[in-house]
Amino acid sequence: MTHSLHRRGTDEYLKNDFTLLVTAASGINHIGSRDGMIKVLEAVWEIGPTNIGSNERGTILSGVTVDQIREGFTKVPRVRCNFATKKKAFAAVKKIKELDTGMSVTLSGPLEATLEMCKEYGIKPHSINLSLDVWGKKDKLPSEEVLELVTMCGHGLVGRPLIEETIEKVKQGKLSPQKATVIIGHLCVCGIYNTERAEKLFEKCAPKK
Amino acid sequence: MLIDKEKCSGCGRCLIYCPYYAISMVGEVADIDQVLCVECGNCIRQRFAKCGEKAIYDESSASAVVKKHYKKVHRCPNNAIYEPLEEIADTPREIRRFFSNPATSHKLTGVPGRGTEEVKTNDVTARISRGEIGIAVEMGRPCLGTNFVEVEKVTIALAKLGVEYEHDNPLTHLMEDPIKGTFKEEYKQERVISAIVECRTKIENMEIILKTIKEVANDLDTVFSLDLICCFDEDGTIPVLSGLEKIGMTPRANAKVNLGMGRPLVITRESLGED
Repeated sequence: MTHSLHRRGTDEYLKNDFTLLVTAASGINHIGSRDGMIKVLEAVWEIGPTNIGSNERGTILSGVTVDQIREGFTKVPRVRCNFATKKKAFAAVKKIKELDTGMSVTLSGPLEATLEMCKEYGIKPHSINLSLDVWGKKDKLPSEEVLELVTMCGHGLVGRPLIEETIEKVKQGKLSPQKATVIIGHLCVCGIYNTERAEKLFEKCAPKK
Repeated sequence: MLIDKEKCSGCGRCLIYCPYYAISMVGEVADIDQVLCVECGNCIRQRFAKCGEKAIYDESSASAVVKKHYKKVHRCPNNAIYEPLEEIADTPREIRRFFSNPATSHKLTGVPGRGTEEVKTNDVTARISRGEIGIAVEMGRPCLGTNFVEVEKVTIALAKLGVEYEHDNPLTHLMEDPIKGTFKEEYKQERVISAIVECRTKIENMEIILKTIKEVANDLDTVFSLDLICCFDEDGTIPVLSGLEKIGMTPRANAKVNLGMGRPLVITRESLGED
């Protein structure tokens, strides 16, 4: 699970955060899916995601090239990436629709905008995963400032200790928002961490010039 | 994860990379608390950060990330931390790795990660068909992690309502009795980043199930993120919204939408010849 529907934050920041997941289904349509998935990978790369990668190889933020991601496709290939603008995310969906590879395509982000896109492109969405928020011992959770950065990692690997220390260094002016983003972004192993959004969040913490 | 204390230089660099504060300095060297460690591998994953060839930012971006091809290495300088794969193989501790390290696949399901593909391939699997809902309770997320004592509180409560646990979720394979929602004793104290309780039921059971989940939340010593999955109706409406409003649960603005581009497209399991 990418956890992307549970990303926290205000509308101002969430509106520029779309995670695109293209997936072959094991035992159903994965046989012969590799060529189509390569076309999808190349198409989304051309549009310019803020991050892209695979569990098997890592992400462009950890030094992996798109060629290595392609070479690392398993027998059930998947494309995982993030777009930091609505325009790019929707352009990617449009291109994938034209390619018509038969792979499952899921877009995670603001629902209202996604449904508007579907209407515009003549897409009939199949199913939806709604976020009903966080429950339980919430008083143990860190501040929203920390949660916004933590919840962008789909697998919980960009952890609280690192985020808290990095935010503190940015607040003290010891680390720039850009360097802070580099330090945390590469820990995401699948390629959906939105580094552009992270940089903007760190900019909010930085001392005013 | 373990630390070879002979090799550890005592630099302390690794401490902040553990999401669960399992690494601390004991005297001159680092030590990993084996109760807190979830075997995610974050502390040994080779890390060097640099931007990709072109994709990270627009050309107009002033970001140093793209302009300088910034590179920085964080790694245990002496390779003192290691993963004791042979020692944990076929022991209960091994499940920490399957549920916490996304680069591994559970032996039984072969699916990387800790859940199923949930809504991501629902247009071809029809795992959740029209007239049904899927519930995913992601125990331990965000930030806190969980053990299976906590997970069992939820699975027992839902089992009493007669839910059907997802066969392809690795968590179901750790159960002693899926009808009662109980786990095998040997797994209960194992800690993981998260474990996803996944089940499906008829849409008319949604209210009682969500109310039960809200109640059991009060008994937990951790948190969970709650997902509700359903198919769009033929006219494009989301059939669960009115029911959610009735019980005072408003979905957040973000959602994951399966765009229905998978082939062969399936709306109900009946069309696959299943019940």
